[in-house]
Amino acid sequence: MRRWLAVALAVLTVGGVFGAGRFVQPVAAQQMGDFDSQETHAKVKDFIVYAPEQQTAVAGKRSVLELNFRVLDGLHVNSHTPTSELLIATTLTLDAAPGIKMEQPVYPAGATYSFSFAPNEKLDVYSGGFTVKLPVVAQAGDRTIQGKLRYQACDRAACYPPKTLPVQVAIAAR
Amino acid sequence: MLWAGWHNLRERRLALERARESHMALVPDNGKASAAGQNTAQGTSQPDLQGKAAPAFTLVDLNGKKVSLKDYKGRPVLVNFWATWCAPCKLEMPWFEEFRKKYGPQGFEILGIAEDDAGKDEIAKAVKRINVSYPILLGDNKVAPAYGGIDYLPESFYVDRNGVVETQTSGLGSKDEIEANIQRLIGAGSAPSTPTKTAATPAASGL
Repeated sequence: MRRWLAVALAVLTVGGVFGAGRFVQPVAAQQMGDFDSQETHAKVKDFIVYAPEQQTAVAGKRSVLELNFRVLDGLHVNSHTPTSELLIATTLTLDAAPGIKMEQPVYPAGATYSFSFAPNEKLDVYSGGFTVKLPVVAQAGDRTIQGKLRYQACDRAACYPPKTLPVQVAIAAR
Repeated sequence: MLWAGWHNLRERRLALERARESHMALVPDNGKASAAGQNTAQGTSQPDLQGKAAPAFTLVDLNGKKVSLKDYKGRPVLVNFWATWCAPCKLEMPWFEEFRKKYGPQGFEILGIAEDDAGKDEIAKAVKRINVSYPILLGDNKVAPAYGGIDYLPESFYVDRNGVVETQTSGLGSKDEIEANIQRLIGAGSAPSTPTKTAATPAASGL
């Protein structure tokens, strides 16, 4: 909970710098880095918030990073293992980064969900907070991994086009 | 009956606005913000086409044949936007198929427009799996904007015999509600168009 409050505070702080005295527009929260592009920010809304926390790792040792995401209230996204191959799985892809060896991300299990008009049709989804674990071996120093989370969100009656959320993982390996 | 209100476009917008209110974030104002209550969840204005002429389109079906909305002038037509990744779309499509068989003798037809980045083969594969036989057309970069942007799916436009949008819905409704829309559509448009507002404003009395 504290982590999300911190993110909210950070967003408000950035907004205060860039948007003091300006219009308060209700939009889904974004990664803070997106504030440098007003045009992008005006058009691209995300339905998942990523909490870009500073990660720590023991240099040269296998460490498991925890990347925390939150699906906005009232929405759900397919899990990494949806019930149909036609549905879009939530998938984290990460770019290779110098000084870091990465294993495959480990996704949480989804929860069963059904639309009220078709209770027998089961979906496997994430809602609320979910954590993707990323095992890494990082060499000593400050490291950064760039990546993206692809997902597709729905509410209780409609679905939104697939989205890609930029993800940046900062690691202090000591 | 409560769900009838949810299926309504206007109520849906209000609900989305309420949902967004709990996720306020301060962002730079680029001067493009619309008036409160006029935005969809994507922040784009979406016109209500009810009572207006359905935007014309000519698209290609899965067999490569050109299909135009004007080809169906004089018939009640359900124009349904869907995508392979849209779970609620795939729930209602078999219902559409059933209603097409039931009301086809009265001229009723369905045009499914795939708003999808998936290729034609993937769309065809999905259609086969969903098991529908009504025309499936491939969306282009014009038809969705003409119908208001189609920010979420499914979205349906019930077009009467005169080519006027009798009812516009967003999101998955109940099977009964969809059938009621079709029945009303079949009964509409034989006289000078007088679009019914009951389907578009049940929220006023329902929720």
